[in-house]
Amino acid sequence: MGVIVRRIGAGILSLAAFLVAWKLITVIGDLPDFILPPPEAVVQRGLRAITTGTLATHTGVTLVEIILGFAVGALTAIATGIALGKSVLIERVLSPYIVAAQAVPILALAPLLDIWFGGGLLARVLICALIVFFPIAIATMVGIRSTDPLLAEMLRSLGATPRQLILRLEIPSALPVIFGGLRVGVTLAVIGAVVAEWAGASSGLGVLINIANQGLFDTPLMFVALTTLAVIGLAFYGLVVLAERRLVAH
Amino acid sequence: MTTVQRSEPATRGLAVRVAGLGVTFPGGTQALRDISLDVEPGSFTAVIGPNGCGKSTLLRVLAGLLPPTRGRVELGAQPPRPGDGRVSLAFQQPRLVPWLSTLDNVALPLTLHGVANGERRRRAEAALDRVGLRDAVDRTPRELSGGMRQRAALARALITDPPLLLLDEPFSALDALTREAFDAELQRLWLDQPRTVILVTHSVGEAIALADRIVVLTARPGRVAREVAVDLPRPRTFNAMAPRAREIEVAVRETLASVHPGDLVPWVSS
Repeated sequence: MGVIVRRIGAGILSLAAFLVAWKLITVIGDLPDFILPPPEAVVQRGLRAITTGTLATHTGVTLVEIILGFAVGALTAIATGIALGKSVLIERVLSPYIVAAQAVPILALAPLLDIWFGGGLLARVLICALIVFFPIAIATMVGIRSTDPLLAEMLRSLGATPRQLILRLEIPSALPVIFGGLRVGVTLAVIGAVVAEWAGASSGLGVLINIANQGLFDTPLMFVALTTLAVIGLAFYGLVVLAERRLVAH
Repeated sequence: MTTVQRSEPATRGLAVRVAGLGVTFPGGTQALRDISLDVEPGSFTAVIGPNGCGKSTLLRVLAGLLPPTRGRVELGAQPPRPGDGRVSLAFQQPRLVPWLSTLDNVALPLTLHGVANGERRRRAEAALDRVGLRDAVDRTPRELSGGMRQRAALARALITDPPLLLLDEPFSALDALTREAFDAELQRLWLDQPRTVILVTHSVGEAIALADRIVVLTARPGRVAREVAVDLPRPRTFNAMAPRAREIEVAVRETLASVHPGDLVPWVSS
């Protein structure tokens, strides 16, 4: 109990320190709102965005993109990672493309993908999934390869099928490493959704950032959108950590 | 040849026939050369030899984990096939799955073959009972001592009640006293439920205490140097291991000394 109280206390303290520092910068620098709004201006703007319903609409759109994009990206990445980890041939054939795709700035590719896939939710989910893919696929591959060969031999001596070997040994023993990839991937999903929206969308937090920043010079509103994205990122990261605690026993 | 002296006849168990077995690894290393061996159903055979002579390779071939490069291996009338329930291999290391409880580890052979939960649990508890690990059911391998882990591995090998049990130095990581206790227990388990056992070991004493017959292998590539019958009455105790046991030990050590000149057993005079 005491540990939890202390942890929450530390969290509140660090948040307070962050806000104070932020406020001090705006005061000392004598910065106008469109350069760096003070925290209370962002809060006020946020409350207004909530009451008008703007924030909820855009947040909802982005949340759907993040969830679908992360789900699609993580599942294909885990499946690909298993194949990469199991077969040197598959790794040789596929990894140049995977690495090349990762090295190409997604920001440049996103408008094209948007055109190719019809500019709707599908295109945005795919862009998001593409960003999520790499760290999870690599983590899965590394995890699968780190399976103890002595345990694998033991399972084979018991007549385990290749499928049982994957499900009962390789995935469970790769799980801690896979979760490392998922932690990185889930934060990238948030970025992926925003990038996808920038490539052509009419709503979402990424769009809201653009409207606030370039259209209205409403920097406090942009900070509201950024803060919302940060909170979403933290929340999803927390969910991944929770899932990890439940699934990874050792 | 083989002298089996015990109360019940050796009916349960699988005959093992190895004919002209050779194993060469992909790198070109020859592990075994022209091994021929006939093992009677229900007998206890010890295979002895120094490190690297291919003893473990022989067991892996018998367990169906490694195909012979040359020659034939038959269990009963068929070649070995992993998971067909006829053979269990207990490894040198316990090889327990770290995230499974002791019960789930022991029940793993049943789990892989889709045995229903209730029966799985019942049989795993019975197997743990037999090796004196009933209390460890819910513990993870990390919470077990080295000896307990080895017991759990033995229970896992016994749970399918295989007619052929292969033991690859299963007690070699244990201290000498614990090891003797395990040997005594292994004898008891075998006398209770006879089956064909092939035990790979470094220990002449262990081989004499347990086996009907000792097969001495040469250094790599392993060949059979000599077979020594252990015609001692059972159950064997240290009292029973009197002059006759000494004679057998000398025979085995002399063979080891002759096939590994300078390497081993310097205290054999001859």
